[in-house]
Amino acid sequence: MGRPAAFSFEGVEVSYDGSVAALSDVTLEIAAGEMLAIVGPSGAGKTTLLRLCNGSVRPTRGIVRVNGERLDRLGPADLRRTRASIGFIHQDLRLVPNLRVVQNVVAGRLGRMSLAGSLRAMLLLPRDLQREAYDLLDRVGIAAKLHERTDRLSGGERQRVAIARALAQDPAALLADEPVSSVDPARARDTVQLLTTISRERGLTLCVSLHNVDLARAYFPRLVGVRRGRVIIDARTAELSDRQFESLYRLAGEDHE
Amino acid sequence: MTVGRGSAVAGALAARNLVLVGIAAAALVSAWLLWMLPGSLRVSGGGLETARAFFARALAPAFTYEAVVPTGTTPLLWKAALAVRDTVTMAAAAMSLALAGGAVLGFCASSAWWSSAGTSGWRRALARMLWGATRSVMAVARAIHELLWAVLLLAAFGISEIAAILAIAIPYAAILGKVFAELVDEASPEPSQALREGGASALQAFLFGQLPRALPDMAAYAFYRFECAIRSSAILGFFGFPTLGYFIAASFENAHYGEVWTYLYALFALVAVLDWWSGALRRRFVA
Repeated sequence: MGRPAAFSFEGVEVSYDGSVAALSDVTLEIAAGEMLAIVGPSGAGKTTLLRLCNGSVRPTRGIVRVNGERLDRLGPADLRRTRASIGFIHQDLRLVPNLRVVQNVVAGRLGRMSLAGSLRAMLLLPRDLQREAYDLLDRVGIAAKLHERTDRLSGGERQRVAIARALAQDPAALLADEPVSSVDPARARDTVQLLTTISRERGLTLCVSLHNVDLARAYFPRLVGVRRGRVIIDARTAELSDRQFESLYRLAGEDHE
Repeated sequence: MTVGRGSAVAGALAARNLVLVGIAAAALVSAWLLWMLPGSLRVSGGGLETARAFFARALAPAFTYEAVVPTGTTPLLWKAALAVRDTVTMAAAAMSLALAGGAVLGFCASSAWWSSAGTSGWRRALARMLWGATRSVMAVARAIHELLWAVLLLAAFGISEIAAILAIAIPYAAILGKVFAELVDEASPEPSQALREGGASALQAFLFGQLPRALPDMAAYAFYRFECAIRSSAILGFFGFPTLGYFIAASFENAHYGEVWTYLYALFALVAVLDWWSGALRRRFVA
């Protein structure tokens, strides 16, 4: 892939079915190659913010741009191309459980394939694609699971399959929604480390939503705090004041009250 | 997932019950069809007599013909085996047509592949029209039972193999289409949505995100339908096709009840073998 993707939000508001706004008045610039964590309690709008980036949620008001192009002005073909360049790791992973791991990984490439090509790829699994899937799985540490059925894997392993699928897209950006919530706490640090290391290696833009302020602080140079649909903190981690950290911790803690 | 597995198990149980019901129905239908022909017997109260004679042979099926036959006649058991072969062949031919038709109908009748967001306006409208048209065609084809289709097709084409095959294939394609569409629509949409969001087309997301979840249940149901096709194929023999039903009818007419039971046991064995086979395959692929 060429250069990493940049995202920009301009006065964005999202409301589902005309109810209370899930996000309101969000203006945010995410530069190419930047790594940032979005912190906040559940229901604050973190997932919506991430889903705006690949156009799977459309803003009710305001403009979302990817690499300077307005998502709402893209035709179907251009939207597909843009989406193919953004890897999204869902909180619930959304893999196909009864396919083999290799097929789930190869499925990441569908956006760049014709229908005939994708049938060949998914059913015949040509050697070069298997090799690619193997290398990606090797990178996330589960190469041995290549031909296993996906639903036989542990939660942590499945998350790595989802990461490998996103990487198979050969993306310009990675978006991960609460990647820590689907693995046990001991593995949380490994997952975040894997995502940041891979993004640095490949020069990808990385946006991750997180509950855990400590992890966000340790691995991400920029933190965005979200509460009730509004961005209330947006700063370099190194420049955050103690007071701002305190309010971030309070944010993350709101869930448990 | 648990629900799908559960319904497959329930389906297998229902299949087993229906095997028994189907055999009972075959006996009843044959009895009904044949009581119509020797009408005089019924008037004289011979019906009960016939039934008694028939069931008396249940545990004593014939191994050779009950009447003197010219030398060179195919032995009874060999004839039963050939009838089994023809019954299976007809069912298999009908089922392959029905599967192809059911796959196309099921695809058109499922909303999973076109209802996903992002499909443009006119394509969506076209897909909706196709969906409605397919549903209607399937409803009509399904409403007419295979025996009735057989009557209609016989009237049109006479006794030909293709008439019998179509009589089974048409309603079965509609039934398979309906069930396939429902199984596909029931599979969770998240994986295919995730593929869409990764740049896959609606069709790709359907084929590789939605369809795989439904395939095991679809295969199980297709197997169950194959069992049904075998019973239908046997019964179509009453119309003159050379399947088990034909020989059952002929032997019944001659009051050779031992032979009738031989053919019935052949049908029973056939369905039992198929049931065992489909169970074995299901355990291998679904579990």
